[in-house]
Amino acid sequence: MKPALYHIRFRARFVKGQRVKAEDFKTKDITDLTKPASLPLPLDGRVSSVFHLIETQQLTIHFGGLAAVNEVDFHMVEGEVVGLIGPNGSGKTTFFNLLTGIYRPTGGFIRYQGENLVGLPAFKIAKRGIARTFQNNRLFLNLSVLDNILIGMHPHQSSNWFDAIFWRRYTERELRTGVEKGLALLDQFGQDLAENCYRRAADLPQADRRRVEICRALASNPKLLLLDEPSAGMSPEETEVLMGDIRKVRERVKGIGMVIIEHDMMVIKGVAERVVVLNYGRKIAEGTFDEISNNEEVLEAYLGREEKDVAA
Amino acid sequence: MDKKSIIKALFLVTIEIAFFVLFVAFMLTHHTGKTVAFLLFFIFLGILFKQWENARLALVGLFEEMKILAGVVFILMLLAVPFVFQSSPYLIHICVMAGLYAILALGLNFQLGSTNVVNFATAASYGIGAYTSALLAVHYHLSFWPGIVIGGSVASLFGLLLGIPCMKTKDYYLSLVTIAFGLIVYVLLINFSWTGGPNGIPNIPAPSLAGHSFREPLNFLGFSLPFQSNFFYLIFLLVGGALFVAHRLHHSRVGLTWNAIREDEIAARCQGIDVTWYKILAFCIDAFFGGVAGTVYAHYIGFISPENFAFIVSVVVVTMVILGGMDNVFGVVIGAILLTVLPEKFRAFEDLRLLIYGVIVVTMLMFRPQGLFPQKLRVYQR
Repeated sequence: MKPALYHIRFRARFVKGQRVKAEDFKTKDITDLTKPASLPLPLDGRVSSVFHLIETQQLTIHFGGLAAVNEVDFHMVEGEVVGLIGPNGSGKTTFFNLLTGIYRPTGGFIRYQGENLVGLPAFKIAKRGIARTFQNNRLFLNLSVLDNILIGMHPHQSSNWFDAIFWRRYTERELRTGVEKGLALLDQFGQDLAENCYRRAADLPQADRRRVEICRALASNPKLLLLDEPSAGMSPEETEVLMGDIRKVRERVKGIGMVIIEHDMMVIKGVAERVVVLNYGRKIAEGTFDEISNNEEVLEAYLGREEKDVAA
Repeated sequence: MDKKSIIKALFLVTIEIAFFVLFVAFMLTHHTGKTVAFLLFFIFLGILFKQWENARLALVGLFEEMKILAGVVFILMLLAVPFVFQSSPYLIHICVMAGLYAILALGLNFQLGSTNVVNFATAASYGIGAYTSALLAVHYHLSFWPGIVIGGSVASLFGLLLGIPCMKTKDYYLSLVTIAFGLIVYVLLINFSWTGGPNGIPNIPAPSLAGHSFREPLNFLGFSLPFQSNFFYLIFLLVGGALFVAHRLHHSRVGLTWNAIREDEIAARCQGIDVTWYKILAFCIDAFFGGVAGTVYAHYIGFISPENFAFIVSVVVVTMVILGGMDNVFGVVIGAILLTVLPEKFRAFEDLRLLIYGVIVVTMLMFRPQGLFPQKLRVYQR
């Protein structure tokens, strides 16, 4: 039985091989730190707290005999953009499903702002500020674009069935506020979306569907945004627009953390500050894009290994 | 008011009265051949309406523009129905039954239409509401009016009881659980002695309002309307109330959430929606509507037995929702009226009733799964 993890404040941590004392992490303002710059943190004042936004320790899930995610340690702070890459089947989407509570891990811990997430149902995790998009675009297809965004705001609204029948003015007011916010959000991502907000989501082209899904994820004011292969099936021009959208999100939402699963290395190089590589469920490398692109294990995972001896 | 709008208003009223006259004539015919002719004429009108774009848009626009006038005329026509049918109480009886089934269909619409939970236990909530109020009325002399609320609440409790095991199951298995629940209630009603067993409960007292018993003919404006008219007006108010509640629930955060659950449950969970709570809410509200309808049924007929709440009733209500329109409040009411009135008019084909219901369900699901009147797009005011 693994011992309970304590909050970062009470436990000494190892950072890049150097032992760092916990007291050094108690300060709130990153610029106060006289710590060495070897801390893997963006040091431009964007971060308001050094506590991890999300961290997993030895996170594991077994499906039958197969470990789809195998003892993965992951951490990130507010405002960071982390790329998650790996060959197909390496467990990236499963990792997202574990973070959002769709699967329950068979081992390991997940901590979100110091709070344990393991065992919480998915809707409670979403209420705490973790939002995601899906690889195969799970929009509510028969509803309009505006309806999709309104549903995204669900965690922050509070009218219930009683209000719907009897306290009509409160319900209508909440809906109206939601509609205003939703249209403003859509407007930021493209005027055509806001103008055609009553289009059925199923009638949208693929690129627009992606943007609506990102908007829906942002509608709940998340602190952590998980993007699952946002540029899949996109042309180079559309990918450029996507990268612009991601940068727009970073500017307009203060302190939002993002984890992006991608296969397109241009996107990763363009927006990710740090990259984590998975293969067969294990984390095999972590670092900046340049570091991992020269990492032998990573290259082997993607390209395979040359056979040295072939028996005759 | 300028001349043009007066002409438009007159045109609107004429159309409504024309439809009313056609409806009355349809109801009053006894000859099967004439009934079929009427039906074919209505279908022809419907197809014409669909095809002729300009006329349809103009007509719909006219109704939208003069909504209040159209509504008032419609309500006046409905209120006039017992006067028109005063020589044939049987026709008023059909209207009352149509109203009861409309309430049941509106209740089921929350589950089937909004949340896509196929619930075959409507007959159970119908029966529980009926038996609760009947037993309380016969043994404890409980008046009808609190009986409605109590019948609805007890049925709602059983809806909760049904909902809890259903949360663990999905799709087809959930339907099986609801079918099983319906059968359990039916068998228990037959076998418990305190529910009267297979003989049911006779002599349920009629409701009374201000000294006027609902079993007595209604004397109004010099006309003596058959006693069914009392229940007709009661049902008219109840269906109006049910429509009001259903419309408000649909056009709110709750209705939107139910639709989200119908579209994609996993994505809904990831948006922070507590799927279990909303599904159980749908079960409870559906059961409440069923209980209310059951209470009125018990006090209307005056006699209930388990046979009235067999599985076939659930199937009929499901057919009404599928035919009328999934998650369209007015659509399901029209579906209920169609599927109550038509079988009565076509008594000649009584034996084929089950077959026809099956054909309707299969045809609708194959060609128009969203129903005759599909769900309307939600439009928000700024």
